[in-house]
Amino acid sequence: MQIEHDKVSGQDTTGHEWDGIKELNTPIPRVVTWSYQLTILFSICYWVLYPAWPYVTDFTRGLTGYSSREEVIDILQSSSNEREVSIATLFSLPIDELAENTAIRKQYETSASVLFADNCGACHGADLEGQTKFPNLKDEAWLWSDLPEEIEATILYGINSGHDEERYAEMTAFGRDEILTKEEISELVAYVQSISGQPHDEALLASGTELFEENCSGCHGDGGEGGLESGAPILTDNFWIYGGDAQTLSDTIWHGRKGVMPSWENRLSKADIRKLALYVYWQSHELEE
Amino acid sequence: MSTAHQKLERHSLKFTIMILLVASLGGLFEIAPLFTIDNTVEKVEGMRVYTPLELAGRDIYVREGCYACHSQMIRTLKSDVDRYGSFSLAAESMYDHPFQWGSKRTGPDLARIGGKYSDDWHVAHLKAPREVVKGSVMPGYGFLADTNLDTDKMRAALVAQSRVGVPYGEEHIENAIKDTAAQADPEAEFEDEIIERYGEGINIRDFDGNRDRVSEMDALVAYLQMLGTLVEVDALKKEELVR
Ligand code: HEC
Ligand code: HEC
Ligand code: HEC
Repeated sequence: MQIEHDKVSGQDTTGHEWDGIKELNTPIPRVVTWSYQLTILFSICYWVLYPAWPYVTDFTRGLTGYSSREEVIDILQSSSNEREVSIATLFSLPIDELAENTAIRKQYETSASVLFADNCGACHGADLEGQTKFPNLKDEAWLWSDLPEEIEATILYGINSGHDEERYAEMTAFGRDEILTKEEISELVAYVQSISGQPHDEALLASGTELFEENCSGCHGDGGEGGLESGAPILTDNFWIYGGDAQTLSDTIWHGRKGVMPSWENRLSKADIRKLALYVYWQSHELEE
Repeated sequence: MSTAHQKLERHSLKFTIMILLVASLGGLFEIAPLFTIDNTVEKVEGMRVYTPLELAGRDIYVREGCYACHSQMIRTLKSDVDRYGSFSLAAESMYDHPFQWGSKRTGPDLARIGGKYSDDWHVAHLKAPREVVKGSVMPGYGFLADTNLDTDKMRAALVAQSRVGVPYGEEHIENAIKDTAAQADPEAEFEDEIIERYGEGINIRDFDGNRDRVSEMDALVAYLQMLGTLVEVDALKKEELVR
């Protein structure tokens, strides 16, 4: 172990030697050690200012008393105050008047379409045209009603959603519950296909008509024309929630159906729900200028 | 260079002990206080243990690696809260072993997915994500609907959870297997029993749309439908939330 001074570099050696090779003990550049000291200084300031050190029962809060939860609660609070001012118009008039107001439509339609895509599109499709099991919201046919306040109630409370004020609609399981036989169900399938303008088995039609009047028109209206706004769809148009082919129709009548539309009351603000109700209304109705 | 350190470096045993000592400081300060500080886990109402069916669903969630694409941690950021709802509380994962906070979001956060969609939607989406959501990159999990849930192992699963501190009692464990199947059966005769054991507001129904069997799909959907629904975070006062 011999520490030597190297004249060329002006540095000492480490004192290690391997087969005549010696190693210079060049110190780390100053700027690096300084930045290292600086980070230590920074962390000390941080400990003083922000929540940092835990101890047995609590932790140091820091002079600023910062809390990320408090921060986000405050931000949300102030932004909702701002929003409240700008949405006051949404509650200044009854919803059916807002729905017919073209200025309101211009103002809110775009932001409502984003809301719809985020929350409703997964089921009803971003274009509102629905998909299997999820109804079209754009067509003439309504399960409940196309009055803006009724649409708003549907969104607030949902359908079969478990909410206390839910809309309730269930298609009876005629086969499973042994109300109708297999044969009767195939007669009804033929009848439903006939009223919706599809090819069908003429031979089954007569008894199908009778069975429909007895079992189905109470919910689906005479001849399946719907319009009762009690959750049962029109059966004479060519839009199907579940499907209009013989197999699906027979499944529907055998097993029954109970579609669920979630309640949004606890997920979205009142204003957002109102915007969505207006949006759904606007997509299916032409306004007069 | 200080000679004291040089001396230490030359003493392998002393040096090893010093390294261990310094390295354990991090753990000492980060982990140890969590056992004694009692305000890390908020005192909130509504938390309950998972029902056996939900726990089975959670096991499937872990098995299938859903956490690789989905977090369950709504951060204290406005953008997160706007999109997913109130930020997650520590209390909400107090019965999670292991927790599913995740660190990557290829898909959306699922911490509050419960009740956002219907069972039908979840089943359709899990079977074929692209049929319901255009352009989704989520893989399909249709086989879950065709796989019977192994209910027999739920007793052992509850025992394992209780060993790591989840307060399952004798009665929960005794009835685990029966409760697993009963929660997915709309005609269950033990409905009241489940509610008595696990509390009000348990979803008891056929989740996968097939009444003839209790499938893994039933379990997974039961789990998804309760996520984030136990604690009413919006109803808590700011003072109760701020730490
Ligand atoms: C989980 C899927 C799902 C989501 C998400 C969803 N809905 Fe629905 N919605 C349904 C189903 C299913 C029905 C029909 C219920 C039935 O079959 O009885 C429905 C029905 C409706 C109706 C009644 C239609 C009528 O003909 O009377 C409206 C209006 C509606 N939804 C609007 C919305 C809006 C707005 C959103 C977004 C906030 C939304 N829905 C989100 C599934 C969903
Ligand atoms: C208690 C009321 C009620 C009765 C009675 C009833 N339905 Fe329904 N039906 C409904 C409801 C509600 C729906 C919508 C279910 C849903 O979407 O969740 C429906 C849906 C249907 C559908 C599915 C339509 C589609 O778009 O896919 C068909 C088909 C149908 N019913 C046929 C019948 C026939 C045939 C009968 C008589 C045997 C009948 N229904 C009796 C309430 C009823
Ligand atoms: C490869 C990454 C990936 C994996 C693995 C994955 N997902 Fe997804 N998930 C996504 C993406 C991307 C979306 C958004 C598009 C969509 O809705 O399909 C999504 C959406 C979802 C949604 C709807 C969320 C919402 O708010 O709209 C649910 C629920 C979901 N996934 C559950 C699961 C479950 C349960 C598993 C495990 C069985 C899983 N995912 C595995 C990528 C993934």
